[in-house]
Amino acid sequence: MTTRLYETMVLLDNQVVREDWSKAKGVVTDLLAKHGAKLHTARRWDEKRLAYPIRGKRRATFLITYFEIGNEHIHALRRDFELNERVLRYLMLRVEKLPEGEAEKAQLEQAADFAVPAPPADDAPDVEKPAPRREGAEELEVPVPDLNNLAVEEV
Amino acid sequence: MVGNRRAPAPPIAGKNCDDPILDYKDTDNLRRFLTTHGQILSRKRTGYCTQCQKALKLAVKRARHVGLLPFVG
Repeated sequence: MTTRLYETMVLLDNQVVREDWSKAKGVVTDLLAKHGAKLHTARRWDEKRLAYPIRGKRRATFLITYFEIGNEHIHALRRDFELNERVLRYLMLRVEKLPEGEAEKAQLEQAADFAVPAPPADDAPDVEKPAPRREGAEELEVPVPDLNNLAVEEV
Repeated sequence: MVGNRRAPAPPIAGKNCDDPILDYKDTDNLRRFLTTHGQILSRKRTGYCTQCQKALKLAVKRARHVGLLPFVG
């Protein structure tokens, strides 16, 4: 038996996330616990519009988790991920070590004021990032005319 | 017409690929190496060495698997 560190990205159904984030996270962590994995971190990575529909869903919540598991349990774990209806898709990769800052990011989720924003409707477009402000750009003041007291030019 | 051809576009990764860290989660970076239809650019266009081009291929394919990048655009 060889225990190795794995990184797994899991796409969760937004419907489950809307109900309760801890329950949605529990879908993955319970599966890992069932197969005797030693969980390092599990956190919400992002909520995104998918490039193509997966199991009929256009958006999904991405959960990233790092855990150690014996290689004899991998096959059963993969099968459980595939059978779970709340897991749209997963990607399991072997990694050498936990990335820097990952533990801190996961720790933020333990904070009391941590709240997951409710996922938007399934066909909502992705939220566009605001354009980066240029250095030295000044705020332009646009004069707004008072529409109630417009001066009428006499001809 | 000989001698009137356009100069080839410079490689995206620069002259030396310098062992980049290509992660499937960093889709903004990976999109630089895709055509508008989502196809991976050739080594001639990316400027990557064999190992880096293979790493790029792997990262793009992983991103496609989890729905971060399209198979066809």
